[in-house]
Amino acid sequence: MLRGFYNAAAGMLAQQRKQEILTNNMANANTPGYKADNASLRTFPTMLLQHMGETEMNGKKLPNNYPIGPAALSTGVYVQETTPNFLQGDMRETGIKTDMALLQGQVPLDPETGKPGGLFFRLNVNGEERYTRNGHFSVDAEGSLVTPEGYYVLGTDGNPITVRSDNFTVNKDGTVIDNGAVAGQIDVAHITNPNNLVKEGSGLFRLDGNGNAPSALGNPNITYNVQQGFVERSNVNTEQTMTEMLTAYRAFEANQKVLQAYDRTMEKASNEIGRIG
Amino acid sequence: MNQSMISAAVTMGQLQHKLDTISNNMANSTTNGYKRREAQFSDILFQQINSEALNPTEAGRLTPNGIRLGSGARVSSTALSLEAGTLQQTGRLLDVALTQPSFYFQISGVDNNGNVTQQFTRDGAFYLSPSANNANVMELVTSEGNKVMGVDGPITIPADHSKITIGQNGQVSVTLNNGAIVESGQLAIVNMVRPQLMLSVGQNLQAPQDIPLNQLIEEVNAGAGNFVQQGALESSNVNISTEMTEMIQTQRSYQFNARSLTIADQMMGLVNGLR
Repeated sequence: MLRGFYNAAAGMLAQQRKQEILTNNMANANTPGYKADNASLRTFPTMLLQHMGETEMNGKKLPNNYPIGPAALSTGVYVQETTPNFLQGDMRETGIKTDMALLQGQVPLDPETGKPGGLFFRLNVNGEERYTRNGHFSVDAEGSLVTPEGYYVLGTDGNPITVRSDNFTVNKDGTVIDNGAVAGQIDVAHITNPNNLVKEGSGLFRLDGNGNAPSALGNPNITYNVQQGFVERSNVNTEQTMTEMLTAYRAFEANQKVLQAYDRTMEKASNEIGRIG
Repeated sequence: MNQSMISAAVTMGQLQHKLDTISNNMANSTTNGYKRREAQFSDILFQQINSEALNPTEAGRLTPNGIRLGSGARVSSTALSLEAGTLQQTGRLLDVALTQPSFYFQISGVDNNGNVTQQFTRDGAFYLSPSANNANVMELVTSEGNKVMGVDGPITIPADHSKITIGQNGQVSVTLNNGAIVESGQLAIVNMVRPQLMLSVGQNLQAPQDIPLNQLIEEVNAGAGNFVQQGALESSNVNISTEMTEMIQTQRSYQFNARSLTIADQMMGLVNGLR
């Protein structure tokens, strides 16, 4: 059997999946706080090909096997992981007082990865903590600061922030001043390794494993600004995404051509070998 | 099935909603007291695809196992921007503008079922209409004929008046033809504390829906402060150049997604052309 058949098919599937990820990035080029996904491809686990044969020794035939070729063979490729790109997005002014953008300043490097950590708004989603960079909030009927899906934005005390009206001010450090009094301080979570975050849709991130992220407040090595009346734009680069889409398309096409070539080989094998006349 | 096609198609539909919002803002750029709406997006539904069953220990892996694939974007909300519009002097005595961004006039409106409801507007172009019950008084109404509410019921004005003065605190004083000055009530003005929860019901009116009114508004202390300006109208807070920029950008996004769909279609074509 021709192993390359499956190789080419796996290549097509991987490029299609990559295309799906790029399409989703492109679709979210206008979503506030969206972090673009990067697809990384990986080869299938390699395998050694063994030649089964026999050697003659003292007139007796003994079975033996030995590896073929210098390298191990891989029979395909797949999309191993999607890594969000946690770079800061641009700021966009909306003029709506319940919109907030998180502008990340100094964040200490994670000792394990050597990469800077990430800062996120802390949300309460049905009793569990979630994190988001989408600062497009609103005020619900009870006066709590919520996301458009109705999830509570948590303050430093772990409770939702309650305001009297939409007409409040937010200081750079996240302190909410409502009607001349402090109504609470918006909490900012510090994720030491953002790669541990799992996307859940609606701009939500869940921290993989147990435990919640510590607060960035009180950490002298972290600086940030909360900008009221702004949202953080998606960090999708449309030009780059379009280029990658075209590249993925051509790679898909190339794999298709390889598949066709194999098919023609098979055609010869089935129809021409051993034909009489 | 190729997921790209669904994602792109869904997103195109949602971008259309944003274009609709922008068009509506632009159409109302000259409507008095109109507040623009801004459509914001949110990503949808990430599905987890576990592909590491092949190789449970993938060296060099950075993220938790599996890959997470989104399926496009949706409009999560169209938020009302309460920024004040510019005040235009008209000199007309029945034109009234509110100078505080979240303050609204209270109007006695009629809902779809014919019931009288409390509605709110920033459009202060008022008119006088003869009262059906009493030939000696006139009612203060909006351009659609809905009664403008005072603190003690609809505002009525004696028919034989020569001049109407509306004070900075909303007090309506009328000079009669004989020179006497009478008070005709106080405009009911509310502070909208939950503007995003009000429903735009058309004709420049906002109405509460399903939520008790006392959670949405606060009565403004009558006679305190100055928040009313007579002889002026508030223009809309739509900035045409911003809307135009947004529109072009949204159109481009639409094209990008259409292109994603085309590429996905061509890929399906390649699959069809395998043999």
